[in-house]
Amino acid sequence: MSDRTIPRPRLNAAGDALRHQRDWFATLRGQAEQGRPFALVNADVPQELLRAMDLPYVVNQWWSSIISAKRMSGRYLEALRERGLPDDVEQYSALPLAEALSPRGDDAPWGGLPLPSVVLADCSGDSLRRMFQLWESELDVPFLPLESAAAEIVPENWWELMRHDWEMAIGTARIDLLHLELQELVPRLEQLTGARFSPERLAQIMALSNEQAEWNRRTRDLLASAPQCPVPVNDVIPAVMIPQWHRGTPWATAAAESLYREVSSLVAEGSAVVPHERRRLMWIGRGLWFDMDFYRSFEQSHGAVFVWSMYLALAADAYARYGDDPLRALAARFCAFRDQMYTPPWSVQWYTKEARTHRVDGVVHLISPDSRASWFTTHALRQAGIPVLEIRADNADGRSLDPAALHDQVARWIESLPDHE
Amino acid sequence: MESPAPRQAAAELRAAHDDRGLHARRRAAQGRPVVGYFGCDTPVELITAAGALPVRLAGRAGRDTSSARTYLDGAVDPQAVNILAAILTPQDHDPVLDMIVITHDCDASLQLFYTLRELRRIGAETFPPVHFVDLLHLPGEPTRRHNLGRIRRFADQLAAWRGRAIDAAELAEAVADHDAARAARTELRRRRADALSGSEALRWYAAATAMPARQYADTLTAALAGAAGDRPAGRPLFVSGSTHDTAEVYDVLEDDGWLVVGEDHDWGDGGDQPLVGVPTLEALTDHYTRAVLPTIARPPHRMARDFSEAVRGSGAQYVLTYCRQYDDAHRWGHPARAAAAGVPAALLREQPYSDIDLPQLSSQLLSQEARMTR
Repeated sequence: MSDRTIPRPRLNAAGDALRHQRDWFATLRGQAEQGRPFALVNADVPQELLRAMDLPYVVNQWWSSIISAKRMSGRYLEALRERGLPDDVEQYSALPLAEALSPRGDDAPWGGLPLPSVVLADCSGDSLRRMFQLWESELDVPFLPLESAAAEIVPENWWELMRHDWEMAIGTARIDLLHLELQELVPRLEQLTGARFSPERLAQIMALSNEQAEWNRRTRDLLASAPQCPVPVNDVIPAVMIPQWHRGTPWATAAAESLYREVSSLVAEGSAVVPHERRRLMWIGRGLWFDMDFYRSFEQSHGAVFVWSMYLALAADAYARYGDDPLRALAARFCAFRDQMYTPPWSVQWYTKEARTHRVDGVVHLISPDSRASWFTTHALRQAGIPVLEIRADNADGRSLDPAALHDQVARWIESLPDHE
Repeated sequence: MESPAPRQAAAELRAAHDDRGLHARRRAAQGRPVVGYFGCDTPVELITAAGALPVRLAGRAGRDTSSARTYLDGAVDPQAVNILAAILTPQDHDPVLDMIVITHDCDASLQLFYTLRELRRIGAETFPPVHFVDLLHLPGEPTRRHNLGRIRRFADQLAAWRGRAIDAAELAEAVADHDAARAARTELRRRRADALSGSEALRWYAAATAMPARQYADTLTAALAGAAGDRPAGRPLFVSGSTHDTAEVYDVLEDDGWLVVGEDHDWGDGGDQPLVGVPTLEALTDHYTRAVLPTIARPPHRMARDFSEAVRGSGAQYVLTYCRQYDDAHRWGHPARAAAAGVPAALLREQPYSDIDLPQLSSQLLSQEARMTR
């Protein structure tokens, strides 16, 4: 692997986001040490509700990505094993729990995550619920679960419906359920944390988060239509996802706009990650947090650039919800969120659409141990004439694959693809 | 119908386990439909009230699951894969189904439904109509209201399917029949440890989900009349973790000198339910929301209490948490269960469908026993 990365300036939007996140987390840690409550929430929980209560929160999977990027996952997961708990099940969600159960060390990522005041997760998957119950039974941190309802029938092309016609796209029953749950969650959170919910603040947050989604949509559309890919995906991911975890704040909306303007300038300048782009690749699955350089390691050798990850595309299509009732719109944002990326037909139709609009030559499909419906995703892409390479590994657990072997496997597959020139 | 003699009744229960299509074929021969269901919280009363025989779908050891694995393998309990294979390629003894009903009692159920829905959409396979009943189990009022809507919808779907609404008399008779079966099952749970091998008890339980409810109640009651006497020989073992929809694993355990005296999975003792009583959709909703809790939905404090009581009540001296491959959720609760049990407790993970790693079981339990008696 001689040409792992091409040195080039990082996107300003990515650098700014990373700096902001470090500052924000340091502030949160400081406040938590002084006794201010904060929540740990799973990524699919309606975080805007907490923001409307001015209750700080850390997203479970984001913190997992930090642990993984700092190559601490193996050590923390060992703490689960020592307690007789699984260290090989849904590691991406389990790492913060594993850290909390581990002896505190001086080398914890970013100083370590303080013990949260409350944890929230939806009941998607059997293990997730059991895992989150351990926050309560082992650490005395209250766990507030939300249901994860499923639909019998869904319409086609969800991305065309979700912004305004979400009631029809998702179905009233599922939205009713989460809407009612959120109404009941508010007094419970107020009781546990002393925070106070403001409906007016929620309305502002929903307006800002919709605006943020619109900027992300413009950025995604710009990247899809650009003659050559002007930005590396491992810059786009933090530039999108860090503001995503601050969704509904003026900073996050401004960050999404900045990303769009920066990408727009690069496109106008004719900038390209690879001067002679030969293959455009799509990465389906979660980010390979422990080896983000992987995404750039085929640029010089193969002229291959990853032009797509789900993070920007979801930010573009999956979040915007307009409506007169902010709480109901928030429920609609999350009660079918996983379906958009994991449940056919929605997932497979969306991936195929995105592959076509981004003119990809091939798809690397990461199948995590808890992935669902992966056969249908691969099948739909191949039916559409798009080559797919399947990789089976856990994205957050560096023990689950050999980076050199992965690189060689992908390199051989890229060599088998036809040039798009 | 006159009750059969105990020995004959026991043979009928075993036959219903060994050939899960037996009663379905008899029903079909009468021109009456058969509905296969997947999910311990399926409102079977509505299926019965609609004039159909509900048969809980079960796997079978040795079934060729290669085509089903293509679609569903990875992260899903191989029991669900085995059942998908039965749906896609039914064989002898599989019930011939007029409809399939799937609930949301665990992730495997949901994935099975999604798989069938997508296979139908892309035209890859053919199989009977599938309905999904999204019953959930958190204790709050939003969940109950959601479930009431789902149960009403399911009743409407059944009505549309057969061309006539379910009337009050039909529902009352169905609730009474299934309550009779529940009462008989409760008696089986009370008496099984002192009268039956674990594999025999599981066969008798499993028959409940393949026979007409009233016939099952009568047959089980008759069989229990003859089930008295000495406790079978064997080291008494309580089984937790993955469900066992056939008796193969129990057979292997008991051939090895263990005696399964209790379990908390829903094909056995864990399927014990209070009576529904009132024949209304609201009562069914309360029952299937709060009284029938899938293993994964049981709150930890209740689970530990129930587990401790069940182990003590069964007289078990050993505990096994048995986890099939990809059915890992039970592993999160194993340390707490082991602590609550107060007896040697083994965890077997990544077990294949219908088989068990006996040397590992013995090794774990006997080494713990040696430490505890030191």
